[in-house]
Amino acid sequence: MPETALISPALLYVACALGALGVVLAMPRRQAAAYVIGAAVAAGGFALAMVGLAKGAGGEGLPGPLFYVFALVGLGGSLRVITHPRPIYSALYFILTIIASAGMYVLLAAEFMAFALIIVYAGAILITYMFVIMLASEGATESATEGATEYDRVSREPVVATLAGFVLLAALSTMLVGGVRQLPAQNSASGSEVMLMTGRTESALKAAGLMKEGEKLGAIGEQGKDLFEKGFVKVVGVDGVARDVPRGAWAGALRLTNTESIGFNLMEANPGAIEIAGVILLMAMLGAVILARKKVEMDDTAKALASRRAADDDELGIDGPFVAPAVGGNQ
Amino acid sequence: MITTIADAVAPLSGVTLFHYLFVACAMFVLGLVGFLTRRNLIIMFLCTELMFQAAGIALIAFSRFHMNHTGETFVIFVLTVAAAEAALALALVVLLFRRKETLDASAWTSMKG
Repeated sequence: MPETALISPALLYVACALGALGVVLAMPRRQAAAYVIGAAVAAGGFALAMVGLAKGAGGEGLPGPLFYVFALVGLGGSLRVITHPRPIYSALYFILTIIASAGMYVLLAAEFMAFALIIVYAGAILITYMFVIMLASEGATESATEGATEYDRVSREPVVATLAGFVLLAALSTMLVGGVRQLPAQNSASGSEVMLMTGRTESALKAAGLMKEGEKLGAIGEQGKDLFEKGFVKVVGVDGVARDVPRGAWAGALRLTNTESIGFNLMEANPGAIEIAGVILLMAMLGAVILARKKVEMDDTAKALASRRAADDDELGIDGPFVAPAVGGNQ
Repeated sequence: MITTIADAVAPLSGVTLFHYLFVACAMFVLGLVGFLTRRNLIIMFLCTELMFQAAGIALIAFSRFHMNHTGETFVIFVLTVAAAEAALALALVVLLFRRKETLDASAWTSMKG
């Protein structure tokens, strides 16, 4: 690989500026927002950065085509999350972003986390968001933008915030361009973790005819891992005499799956952290239940708003959602 | 060129790592911009989830680059924190909505003191 810069900084800054312009254009505002133009400009910025990267790297070590698909879908979804005037659609676009990220996780050989992401995020967290959006919506359901409330239709300081954000992106990626080259060499997996799974190792040895019924592995755990890296496993015979079996073809098929590796890492390296995670979740659940049960008084302005809305509904002959009396939860 | 699970042990090039980190940075920045510009409390919290998501992508990419599973394990804890945060933040949002009947963050400017 040539030791030139991965991508010329000027090109990177132009790409960031295009992205910022696209986001500003797509931001909801008082006049009709140009979502399509904004998204197209931002996508152009992304494409420019990617083409610049491909050229700078000389076509070597690039990710596969699926990466570009997932990146475009993920970033496009994120753009819509922050620009859509209706919260419920923002939440739906966030699910799209999650699915695209899960795709990237699979490309990075992290299948377990990809499934966990879809189950936990798309399945649990986002559904909670949708419930709260529906619970706390202010009624009104006409066309896409007409029905949205004023504070959803008009964003706050879009230009300044976008500028600040994309200056951060330019700085971060400049730093990464320099830093990625200086990363330490990667250590390849030796596969010795397989010695933590005695059952699998034993059945592989038995299938290869190197171990008979009644015999068992001598060195397991850390000790077994050390031996395995040196090229042996210890087998204790029925008579109690240990012998060394060299690592051969039988070990080739033994590879920990992604889920097994994560399980070992979680339980071996961080057994305390996972207990603490459980306590955090329990406390969050208790806190949420206690908070949501609390009785609150409505403000004067909010009372006026609610009664006005109820009067409007009466005029139109609509059974309003629920108004003042029900507010405050049950005790 | 398509990466499959079968060649998961092949090393990841620094260039590819940079691609993933760039996407993670861009997603984080989009979340940040959304948090600053949107006025709906629920969307603001959704944007923090977007930033968590970007951190997750960076962690997984580094985990793959260094060929160990610590990064992936850490994403589990990121998910835990995200879930706890969502539960508490949404409970608070429901409380705030009951008092003011609006989700507008600027309805709470009196808290500036």
